[in-house]
Amino acid sequence: MSILRVTDLDVRYGQFRAVRDVSFNVEQGEILAIVGANGAGKTTLLRALAGANPVKAGTVHLSGTDITHMPSHLRVASGLALVPEGRKLFLDMTVEENLKLGRTVGRMGDWTVERIFETFPNLVKRRHAATGTMSGGEQQATAIGRALMSNPDVLILDEVSLGLSPLVVDQVYASLEGLMTTGTTIILVEQDLSRAMAVADRVVCMLEGHVVLDSPMGATTREAITAAYFGTAPQGEHA
Amino acid sequence: MTNILIQAVLLGGYYALIACGLAFMFQVMRVINLAHGSLAVVSAYAVWSLSDSFDMSPFIALLAVVPVMGVAGWLLQRLVLERAVRGGELLPVLSTFGLAIVLDNLLFQQFGADTRSLSPFVGDLSWEAFELPGGIYVGKLPVYILIAVIVIIGGLDLLLKRTALGRQIRATATDPDTAGLVGVDARRAAGIAAALATMTVAVSGAALGLRGTFDAYAGAPQLLFAFEATIIGGARSLWGVLAGAIVLAVAQSVGAQIHPQGFLLGGHVAFLIVLFIRLALKGKAPLRLAKIARLTRKGAAQ
Repeated sequence: MSILRVTDLDVRYGQFRAVRDVSFNVEQGEILAIVGANGAGKTTLLRALAGANPVKAGTVHLSGTDITHMPSHLRVASGLALVPEGRKLFLDMTVEENLKLGRTVGRMGDWTVERIFETFPNLVKRRHAATGTMSGGEQQATAIGRALMSNPDVLILDEVSLGLSPLVVDQVYASLEGLMTTGTTIILVEQDLSRAMAVADRVVCMLEGHVVLDSPMGATTREAITAAYFGTAPQGEHA
Repeated sequence: MTNILIQAVLLGGYYALIACGLAFMFQVMRVINLAHGSLAVVSAYAVWSLSDSFDMSPFIALLAVVPVMGVAGWLLQRLVLERAVRGGELLPVLSTFGLAIVLDNLLFQQFGADTRSLSPFVGDLSWEAFELPGGIYVGKLPVYILIAVIVIIGGLDLLLKRTALGRQIRATATDPDTAGLVGVDARRAAGIAAALATMTVAVSGAALGLRGTFDAYAGAPQLLFAFEATIIGGARSLWGVLAGAIVLAVAQSVGAQIHPQGFLLGGHVAFLIVLFIRLALKGKAPLRLAKIARLTRKGAAQ
């Protein structure tokens, strides 16, 4: 059974349909990359999955439970955590306080503050620093750490490389690698197609709120993804 | 002069007690609760009613009133503030203003125009005093009130800075959306914060009744002093509010020394001076005024 099942999802801002009839499944332990141009509805989709945007129609099931209208904090408690776009740290709090906040729902698991510091060694010396004073890379590591502290079954990463230098992006992905091998299910939005293709098992491409491509990474090509990305491929070409 | 200063600091303790709940509400929920003074008077009447009916010490009555006011604060958040906040910045101000009018007049209907006091129930405490070196006498009650406010502010400060609940309340205050995404039940955190604020209001209501007399319309001046103390001290920190309250009380006392009717005026002058200094330092005075004007227009349009 799919750990996350999205069926005919429709999310709107007023009259504007940001996400239209989106359906896809994510299997346990799978790494799914969602790609698409700016404004394709990726962030809206992820925020709807996490409960931050209300769903107009359709359903979201997590491990078989309907979470479509569940408030966001209960979704975290059910094992779904989002690292939001723009990191959204609590800037007047220290790294440690941000991490401890992630523990609020008290799900059992391996992640502790100490283990986060082992995974992101660049944070150790910043432990008691207010996150507002830190670099983008350090902030991103804190945001990922905060989401991991809830011991999620499904971790959703929204543009973790946004605003970071390529070197820092490498560091962030290097520290995620360990996580990717532990069987945590991961959904990530990534602008860098090469990177998305390198880490993900499957790719979903969005265009103007629709899913225009949904395929295992091995069964598609860079050209096919690019064509779907720009809307030059015939729609509905699901693999 | 020393005597005046010491008495002013003690009066400042009382102002800080009313102000800390208002400042806490503003700090953690971005809500200016204009019903704050009226809620203090409601608490004062509640303590008075218990003491009067059951011949009970007001301090024991307060133990019962504090949790009741906590529940009232939780309900206030759930039923009024939570909805009002969604309507923009001005709506919580208007709705709590309306609530204050309702509460004041309900109290007037219930208890009439007679002034009440809790001092008959505490015997000698109303006039007992400690003697300080130099022949200065300080009332025991004001000293207890000052101690109470230091304990309350210290407790709230520790709670916010050191506990998981405090972190959740701070996270909710900064960004309720993101707080939800990291697993914080933002509604619960806001409800608890409101309950804590009204629990301090209950204590300040009892202090109001113990220090002197009150009637159904005593809420407005309490709100005014609390507001002035909060602005002078800066709503950022509760210790700042204590300092602001003491500055307000000292200014009032100095004003009273200059002219017999200068008590209130001294406080208002200090408040306005600090307010304008703050606006000037930020260099945003015109901007702020423009914002207020815009909000007012928006409010009028609604």
